[in-house]
Amino acid sequence: MKIIKLLSLSVVLFVAPKAISQEFKLGKVSIAELQQKVHPKDSSAAAAILYKKGVSRMQFDPNEGFCMITDVEARIKIYKKEGYEWANQNVWYYNYTGLKEKVFFSDAVTYNLVDGKIEKTKLKSDGTFDEVLSKFRGQKKITMPNVKEGSVIEYHYSIKCPSDGIIRDWDFQTSIPVNYSEFKVAYPEYYVFKPRQKGYIFPKITTAKNSKNIIINSKERGDGNVTRTEFYNDKIDYTETEVTYVAQDFPALKEEDFVNNIDNYTSSVEHELSLVQFPNRPVKEFSTDWNSVVKTIYEYDDFGPELNKTGYFEEDLKKNLSGITNQNEKIWAILNYVKSNVKWNGYTGYNCDNGVRKAYKEKTGNIADINLMLTAMLRSEGFTANPVLVSTRSNGIALFPNRNAFNYVVSAVETPEGYILLDATYKYSTPNVLPFRTLNWFGRLIRKNGSSEQIDLMPHKSSNDIVFMTYDIDGEGKVSGKARRQCTDYKAMLSRESFEKSKQEEYLEKLEENNRKIEVSEYSRTNEKELLSPTIESYSFKGGDLSEVIGGKIYVNPMLFFAQEKNPFKQEVREYQVDFGYPFQDKFNITIKIPDGFTVESLPQAVAYNMESNLGSFKFNILATDNILQLMVVNQINEPIISTDQYEMLKEYYKGVIAKQTEKIVLKRI
Amino acid sequence: MKKLFCALFFLIFIFNSSAQKGDYLLFTVADSLKENANAVVRLDQRDIVITSQRSMNIKVQRVVSVLNNKGMEEVDAYQYYDKSTSVKNIEATVYDAFGKEIKKIKRKDFIDRSAVDGGTIFSDNRILYLDYTPISYPFTVVYNCEYQTSNTAAIPSWRPLGGYFVSVEKSAVNVTFPQALGFRKKEFLLSMFNIQKTVETDTQLSYVASNIPAQKPEEYSPIFSKLYPKVMMGLEFFNLEGVDGNAKDWKEYGKWFSEKILTATTTLPEETKAKMKALVGEEKDPIKKARIIYKYVQEKSRYVSIQVGIGGFKPMLAQDVDRLGYGDCKALSNYTRALLSAVDVPSYYTELYGDRSPIDIEEDFFSIQGNHAILCVPDGNKYVFLECTSQSNPFGYQANFTDDRNVIVIKPEGAEIIRTKNYESNENTQNSKGYYTIDQNGSFSGKIAIVSQGSQYGSKERVVRLLPEEKDKHYKNYWSNINNLKLEKISFSDDKEKIIFTENIQLNASNYGNITGNKILFTVDAFNQNTENVRRIRNRKNPFQILHGYFDTDEIEINLPEGFSIEFLPSNYELKGKFGEYKTEIIKKENNKLTYKRSMFLNKGKYSNKEYDEYRLFMEQVSRNDNAKIILTKN
Repeated sequence: MKIIKLLSLSVVLFVAPKAISQEFKLGKVSIAELQQKVHPKDSSAAAAILYKKGVSRMQFDPNEGFCMITDVEARIKIYKKEGYEWANQNVWYYNYTGLKEKVFFSDAVTYNLVDGKIEKTKLKSDGTFDEVLSKFRGQKKITMPNVKEGSVIEYHYSIKCPSDGIIRDWDFQTSIPVNYSEFKVAYPEYYVFKPRQKGYIFPKITTAKNSKNIIINSKERGDGNVTRTEFYNDKIDYTETEVTYVAQDFPALKEEDFVNNIDNYTSSVEHELSLVQFPNRPVKEFSTDWNSVVKTIYEYDDFGPELNKTGYFEEDLKKNLSGITNQNEKIWAILNYVKSNVKWNGYTGYNCDNGVRKAYKEKTGNIADINLMLTAMLRSEGFTANPVLVSTRSNGIALFPNRNAFNYVVSAVETPEGYILLDATYKYSTPNVLPFRTLNWFGRLIRKNGSSEQIDLMPHKSSNDIVFMTYDIDGEGKVSGKARRQCTDYKAMLSRESFEKSKQEEYLEKLEENNRKIEVSEYSRTNEKELLSPTIESYSFKGGDLSEVIGGKIYVNPMLFFAQEKNPFKQEVREYQVDFGYPFQDKFNITIKIPDGFTVESLPQAVAYNMESNLGSFKFNILATDNILQLMVVNQINEPIISTDQYEMLKEYYKGVIAKQTEKIVLKRI
Repeated sequence: MKKLFCALFFLIFIFNSSAQKGDYLLFTVADSLKENANAVVRLDQRDIVITSQRSMNIKVQRVVSVLNNKGMEEVDAYQYYDKSTSVKNIEATVYDAFGKEIKKIKRKDFIDRSAVDGGTIFSDNRILYLDYTPISYPFTVVYNCEYQTSNTAAIPSWRPLGGYFVSVEKSAVNVTFPQALGFRKKEFLLSMFNIQKTVETDTQLSYVASNIPAQKPEEYSPIFSKLYPKVMMGLEFFNLEGVDGNAKDWKEYGKWFSEKILTATTTLPEETKAKMKALVGEEKDPIKKARIIYKYVQEKSRYVSIQVGIGGFKPMLAQDVDRLGYGDCKALSNYTRALLSAVDVPSYYTELYGDRSPIDIEEDFFSIQGNHAILCVPDGNKYVFLECTSQSNPFGYQANFTDDRNVIVIKPEGAEIIRTKNYESNENTQNSKGYYTIDQNGSFSGKIAIVSQGSQYGSKERVVRLLPEEKDKHYKNYWSNINNLKLEKISFSDDKEKIIFTENIQLNASNYGNITGNKILFTVDAFNQNTENVRRIRNRKNPFQILHGYFDTDEIEINLPEGFSIEFLPSNYELKGKFGEYKTEIIKKENNKLTYKRSMFLNKGKYSNKEYDEYRLFMEQVSRNDNAKIILTKN
């Protein structure tokens, strides 16, 4: 009776998806698919995923218990030679003592249409490779045989993961169009996984419950004098949850400028284990919301305990802080102490690598080693300092609560004026000016008691670039003058980075080259190392190429080489948000002396442009008194991130800004 | 013999132990070596001991003081290894500026990784490298490595100066070899710095270089390896990835390579041979036959690089390429050779350096050279070279990657060094014809046909394969002088037979003309602005070269808006000199029309350091005149 019930149920289950996806079966490549010359919805596509199906099912292995088996099959059409890279596929796997996964490729076949007939070429062992990537990971690679324009390739692979807690992420979108993508996850009632979806388009979801059973064979030796072995054959029934995601006709993802990280926009699903409960056993809960994620992380040996370690820095620190009483100065001194004593080794992570003690001794460590040490030092000086978990730009925005959402940690000091964010792993970082890599929406602050809070990481203070310039024009149109450029916050960070990149001599060569070949003299820098003050560059310049004398009149762009002449927003339509990273203001105060015997024939008109919702504003003012012109230009962007529906406005705004900045003054003889 | 080795090892041992003591204090470095230097090589010592045709042992001791964060790459603490090369030991010690030991890095702390580059799908080459985070500057790294290889064909060249912005206190090499193996060497530019040959006997060769100041790169210079000293070395009796060989010169190398490496690699299934015969049909002309076969290879195959063992030198079997439809440069060239031989067209496997700048195979010194393979097809007393890894190259097209250089053409009777096609400056043409209209608001709309040939064909033709948004981006960058550019229509024609590429583009842009009061100002030369920016270099030392000459002509009709009259027209301009010729002309026509003509000829060539500034001024004048503007006034 039971068997029949089970059968009928599975029949229903098998039939239902079959009805919609009949052709999506390995080996069933049609002549129509092989004949297709271009993708019907995207004629520029070099290749397309005709279908891709994945199943991650938790299965019982008598030796290992529940394991995750993932089976993936795919059919890919190659339209053009640029799509040949799709004939090479690779799948990475964990390979270390704690976690050994296995990957097998099979049923890999290339299909071609030869004289109207389907020709099959199978992948043989000479096209499969196994590569050691690191101590922890390996990679299986295949390269398909006999691939031409028009070929269809198919392959299947399975991943056996001995852990019962890991379901691999699934992307429904990639750089080529996806006609059909299906992902199924199935796990027994003892487990609860939470799905997290992201992207700007979403797949359809259906959920089913299946009846399943496990048969466990075991043997037991009886005690006593008579040796007797009893064989048990236990059958355990359970319900399996099966969730299916189906995406149809998802377009290719396109690269754009000013994008934080394209992964943030990829339609995908990830699953996080949130609960395990076997019969008659206690419930084991895993991170399900931000608070419990944070708590789990906090309890890791290489996080919380590292933070609470003391006794390695106190004496040295005391020496360095002697005489400092002002709280802000003290914070600054501690930050500098860590910065100058422990260098970042290039590895990210919220888990300590070396451990704070070793990192302190060896003067090098990963992000967590350094910033947890910083937090501990701040605490030791009586500050309310806490670590803030961060996801870097390259890691993507931390959208969903899970341990992998973060890969970085900074420190926050609570003050009556609000939080001060600190990062000691980057030379040019200052209080509340974190390195650019961390400017990625929100972080999570963890308090000593394990509770947590969301922290806004995006800067709201404008980074300024202020130029004062005075110059003279002579009767031949030659220009000479002085400029002073002052940069704050992120603009100062950029200046310092470019100061560091080259020696002063090369820097000046570049300054001359990039600014219409002016000749620079009397160059000086102020505050290059004083990170809390704005960077200031002053120099004199002259150049014959800054104006044009045409028909006895002098044409000059009043902003000279500071004029922004090219619109950074060239794209017609925009799919993703524009990410500036931080708000900013570019301001120019310019005084121009016109030559004797000349007068102004025409001047650009003063304008003011404002974007809606106070996103930004541009002002251009010019005043003439006798032989002196006074110019004031301000371009101000108030938001670090501009949404796609505001793109058209931003582009138009910049069009106006650029047009104004390229307008010329005309001087004529009196 | 035995005694000699003992003595040698003893010497090395002494040297080693003395170098370990951290006596690399920074203040002992002469100021002249700190100038322009990001790092100072205190000592670079290579002891190369060739014990037999199949065994070479190399000890590297390198001590580098890193002065700032840009000097880190000069530490060079890494070693490649594979099946034929094993690393016996590798370690490094870091000292601070005062000679105090900061850190010891043992073998297990070196990072071990697959040495696969971007285009390679699989390789059994691996790399061990030092991953050290500097905690302060300056510091000194003492690196020691010893490795053993059977690859005696590849004796590393000695280059006392390894790069720019690094100076050398001392660099030394000692090579010992059995007399019977026929050791040979070639020296280049050794008189340039203080370099001494200290030992030269039948079994030994040593050089020492000292106090080489840091050099600065200068644009338009010949490549580094041609500018600075080196010693190339080789054996007459060698082993290459497990295969014994003997050759004194290119001729003998070619014979050996044909017999030992290429032999039996070109067998094809009968079916494929028959197919090739059917493809060429009645065609008799060998070059026409080769065209048909080349097209077949381009359609059938794709580039996939797999480097295992001898695979770094030996092409994959032609029958495997035939079955799999992929291979690397060696495999695809050799496969094409097999197919051509099936239709009785002789062709030769060819080794060379594939690079944008021409790098020659050293003609009168045989050693293992080159990084690429192509195929050579004789055409009467000339040769045609085929790039078999490209699915889009026209037949025989070589510009920008394999042109104008010495290559090794491997014939069964022996190899020959042959020079590949030189693309003359006047062959590399771009002829543009079109028009544009400026309206009363300064808006621009126009149409242009750009026809490119020679080396310019190669730099344009790839645009066809860009995605629509990439094309859009390409043209917006190409015409970055036109703001607010909108592309209306883009079409191409690609004549692979004659090697002519044509772009037809229709475009418009608002605010092209600058409106100032009642005037419109605009740059006449909208479509072909000189973008070459030649930097000022004070006291240039190196000679300079113009790698690619070209010849551009433009004829553009300009329609001016009604209701405006011309206030100013730039005058005609002409510039002639050794670097080339530049000429612009504006002809007034009826109905508010102008014709703009521009021609620019740039001469490829090698020039002295003194002439560089002249070139800079030449280009500056061109750029300035390309920016000349027309002024219109409202009537």
